[in-house]
Amino acid sequence: MTEATEAAPPAKKKPRVLGTTSWYVVALFICAVMVVPLLWMITIGLKSRTAVFDIPPKLLPHEFHWSNFINGPQVIHFPRLFLNSMIITSLSVLGGVMTAMMAGYALARLRFPGRKLWFYLFVGSMLLPGVVGLIPLFQLYKSIGWYDTWLPLIVPAFLGGNPLFIFLARQYFLAIPYSIDEAAKIDGAGHLRIFVSVMLPLTRPAWLTMAILAFQASWNDFLNPLVYLYSSGKWPLSVGMASFISPFAGKTPDWSYYMATNLLYMLPPLIIFFAAQRYFIQGLGALGSTNQK
Amino acid sequence: MNRSSLGTPGRRRSARAGMSRNAGSDVKAAYLFIAPAMIGFFVFVGYPLVRSFYLALTKYNGLTDPIFVGLGNFRRMFTTDPAFWPALRATGYLVVLYVPLSLVIGLALAMFCNQRFAGVRVVRTLAYLPVVLPAVATITLWKFMLDPQVGLLNTLLDRIGLPTSLWLQSPKMSMPSVVLVMLWGVGGTMIIFLAALQSVPTELYEAAKVDGAGPWSVFFRITMPMISPIILLQVILQTTAALQTFNQPKILTAGGPGFSTNVLMLSIYNNGFPTLGRIPQLGYASAQVWVLFIIIIAVIALTAKFSSLWTYSDSTSD
Repeated sequence: MTEATEAAPPAKKKPRVLGTTSWYVVALFICAVMVVPLLWMITIGLKSRTAVFDIPPKLLPHEFHWSNFINGPQVIHFPRLFLNSMIITSLSVLGGVMTAMMAGYALARLRFPGRKLWFYLFVGSMLLPGVVGLIPLFQLYKSIGWYDTWLPLIVPAFLGGNPLFIFLARQYFLAIPYSIDEAAKIDGAGHLRIFVSVMLPLTRPAWLTMAILAFQASWNDFLNPLVYLYSSGKWPLSVGMASFISPFAGKTPDWSYYMATNLLYMLPPLIIFFAAQRYFIQGLGALGSTNQK
Repeated sequence: MNRSSLGTPGRRRSARAGMSRNAGSDVKAAYLFIAPAMIGFFVFVGYPLVRSFYLALTKYNGLTDPIFVGLGNFRRMFTTDPAFWPALRATGYLVVLYVPLSLVIGLALAMFCNQRFAGVRVVRTLAYLPVVLPAVATITLWKFMLDPQVGLLNTLLDRIGLPTSLWLQSPKMSMPSVVLVMLWGVGGTMIIFLAALQSVPTELYEAAKVDGAGPWSVFFRITMPMISPIILLQVILQTTAALQTFNQPKILTAGGPGFSTNVLMLSIYNNGFPTLGRIPQLGYASAQVWVLFIIIIAVIALTAKFSSLWTYSDSTSD
């Protein structure tokens, strides 16, 4: 770096080559830090149950135990928990995106008394730490018989559970020209019609981004299902996976079984990430740039 | 539908009727569209705020009615509870370790990923990858990585001749290890910084180049001031998130060894939702929630108050 600044103008090319080599060293290091733990997870998932505890540990498995991918998931009734996670996640994605889009539409494009106030209330509630709701809501759900059901994990999403989504939806709706609504109104379309058949197609990137973020949040959520669900048959995968290695089980966990199952647990978010990468980047990018304005 | 086929006069009439109807129906439609979120606001923001404040002033086991004890919970917390001060200290230690490291590494990574070279997208994608993975999955993976005997980290350190560590099992190293695991998700910080860096006008860099500014002066005089609002946002976001850390200490150490990683969130959880056979202390846990809440508000207020000292804002901002 210092060489580059000291170098006289004619000699500029040489340091740049040096620069690119060191770039790639750094790049390789970053990639290694992110990928090696995952590769190691796979090797553990393929080792035999006892080879995991070899000292010194071997980086690669001696023989490949593909059966871990069958036997491991059975320990926590993987298919059932996977289904539980899928149901909880898809419903909360649907609810969260739908209500946020509706609220964002109203806040951005309809005039009503209290519009500004509600916008500030929603934005302000982003700052409220989730933990404040933990105990009162736990008691509330318990008193209406929702304890040990999926309702506390799903219903909040249908009631605008994520104020960040409302904010993102509003910002996106604000950017759409008003002449489009006017044209639709003149054609006799009501608000519902405008929302569903004009606005939703136009705001596809916004709600796809939200859907991905909501999927991730729900699939990964650990604290809420841990608090609200008692029966192991109703658990989502997050709680099931944590119980897999919890010391309460009273025996040393089967790490090779665990890692094989862990890989399966990671697969849905991984697939979505690689399929829809730009929406991940876009969504958080929107947070970065809208706040700057 | 039929009316539109009547021809121009009818169409105009219906359009005008639509307009006048809209003034009133706008309000009605708006409330219908926003109703779910409004109800949610009352149920999930308004109610818990009021209720948890009340519970913080009571003794409450979740079964019988709460008994009002005034500031008794707070008195117990600050004077007699042997676990409270360690919890506060552990939380503070975590924040002090994690937030600066996350910001510095996140910004450095973002600046690196903002360069143009072949393969930069791969680096960016991989750096963000851990953020996408389920927290439980990555935390448990790291728990095994940090195992002193068979974990990968000690194996590698041993091979290259560096000293190994007990990591999570040593009272001294447990918190740094927890922070290390959290830092694996630094891609989340990076991606927001990256968006900020990309919104800095390139003319500024071109002008600096013409003026012969070196890389450090470009960084401190252009990049830093231009992204300072995002740095502020990140300080607030990261600190409030770090204060509420739960998953990592819960899964990695369950607060141990000793009280070394027993952060406030874990203490709240254990008081409010204890293991079977122990009585939940929901009032006391609520009081701890409020201590945490007040710390969070104070951090936000202080950061925002002193932000004018170091953030750059252009005069056109509204």
